[in-house]
Amino acid sequence: MSSSTDWKRAFSDYPGPYERLVRAADTEIGAFLDFDPSRRTNAAPGSVSGGDDPLADLPFAVKDNIAVRDFQLSCGSKILGDHVAPYDATVISRLTAAGMVPVGKTNLDEFGMGSSTDNSALGQTHNPWDLTRVPGGSSGGSAAAVAAGLVPIALGSDTGGSVRQPAAFCGVYGLKPTYGMLSRYGLVAYASSLETIGIIGADPATIEETLHSAAGMDERDQTSIASPRGVRVHSAGTSETSLPARAAFLAGDLDLDEPTRAGYQRFRSAVEELGVATEEVELSTTEVAVSAYYTIATAEASANLARFNGVRYGNRPIYAENPEELVRRTRSEGFGPEVLMRILLGTYVLRSGFQEQYYQRAQKIRTAVRNELDALFEHYELLILPVFPTVAFPHGDAGLSPFQQKLADRFTTLANLAALPALSIPAGVYGGLPVGIQAMGPARSELQLLEFARRLATKLPVEHPPEYQESICDRILAGEGA
Amino acid sequence: MDRDELELTAELALIDLDDSRLKAFENSVGELLDHFAVMGSFDVTGLSPTTHALQEENRLRHDSAGTDPELPDLILEQASDLEDRFISIPNVL
Repeated sequence: MSSSTDWKRAFSDYPGPYERLVRAADTEIGAFLDFDPSRRTNAAPGSVSGGDDPLADLPFAVKDNIAVRDFQLSCGSKILGDHVAPYDATVISRLTAAGMVPVGKTNLDEFGMGSSTDNSALGQTHNPWDLTRVPGGSSGGSAAAVAAGLVPIALGSDTGGSVRQPAAFCGVYGLKPTYGMLSRYGLVAYASSLETIGIIGADPATIEETLHSAAGMDERDQTSIASPRGVRVHSAGTSETSLPARAAFLAGDLDLDEPTRAGYQRFRSAVEELGVATEEVELSTTEVAVSAYYTIATAEASANLARFNGVRYGNRPIYAENPEELVRRTRSEGFGPEVLMRILLGTYVLRSGFQEQYYQRAQKIRTAVRNELDALFEHYELLILPVFPTVAFPHGDAGLSPFQQKLADRFTTLANLAALPALSIPAGVYGGLPVGIQAMGPARSELQLLEFARRLATKLPVEHPPEYQESICDRILAGEGA
Repeated sequence: MDRDELELTAELALIDLDDSRLKAFENSVGELLDHFAVMGSFDVTGLSPTTHALQEENRLRHDSAGTDPELPDLILEQASDLEDRFISIPNVL
């Protein structure tokens, strides 16, 4: 695996080869919607360049629903078209101030709605482990870019699992921080009370450095909170964070496919080898989490996406008889089928007469999820659960239907409903495809989760896709692309 | 979900649907609403709805002008048609 130091050297000393090699590799993967590594090189005023700063000159990719000045902000939707962001999201300002360089915007399910990235209106992304399969979603482009070694780190967003699930499908790490840990200023809103910006990376140490620079209070996001609890553990330093004493695993048949079942068991053995006691628990809320999640998420989406009306942003019809027709035609022609479906569902559950049955009830169930997890974390430091019940599925009709994909969010939506941090960790490769397992902890326990993952890698080493064993960084330093 | 309910919902959401889309959404929205019925059997007695993620207080920014002097120009640059510093828009009447 390439170190941050190697990446910085390869990227800053060999900009031409970096651009050429990434462009060539991405013709197969389709991770990027907009790629230009020189557009923002050292462009930030007061930014650090070179030197010992751990993040200086480190390239990173950004999901195309997070604003990066001078890059497009399409959300994977025709409705925004070639809209260019006139400002940086807070996380982008903070990371560029630390010297990191955004190199491009990655593909996603339209507005973050989906589990495959196939709901993008702007292109298809393929899984580096098997190009006939999806990379997961909705941050599929970011996960595929990291897995194929195009960048060491990428930002995504996680509303119901959209960072953790593609990270699992692509065999990399994916952190969904505590709600509010990373400012949402500059993230295009889908379901505001559930979503966070997240970090996808090839190793826990670089994720930790990135989180450290990007996290914390932001006056532009009134839901932002303080940085993670605890002492930071530097990549090469010795650990000051102790391992958890007890970790909870889910009991019973979880309706997993064979590889995921094997991955969950192997993960448990590795945790026990580290000396962590494991016990099985049952959660009463898992079966209703998906319903509560989709009720709340679509309700919030129906309000948040009202702003895409052809007046303020993006594409609109050339001709309309009156303002209402302008709005109707913009929305009906601009949004893809999954987005329209969620707006309709969200509008319905908020309608007078149905609110008590759906929205109000879902918010009460959300309280039950939080109460149950809070009680669990009084006895255990970690809850270990699958990310998704299957490995990466094929594109199109041979894969999971949109409805099956939603039901499969039952393990990831819990962390969003409860506002808690969760980290997807590679748990081995089975039949040529990676399995990811997630570790969830109490609020602001990100450093403990990352340290746990770093220790676990000694027992459960991370593997790379056969066709992408070497990252772009390795290839440049070996003299390729010159 | 029956056709009338879907048409009314689409009307409220300012979305136009032709017959083939109405049929598709009848199925996909209906499928999820049927699944949501599982919430009906979950005991929510005594639970209050979650109205905030982690914090309870309302935090507001200072009531002062923004600090990025370049932003207005950057936004104007994106307009397709300008007259001086005004954005020209098509007639809709």
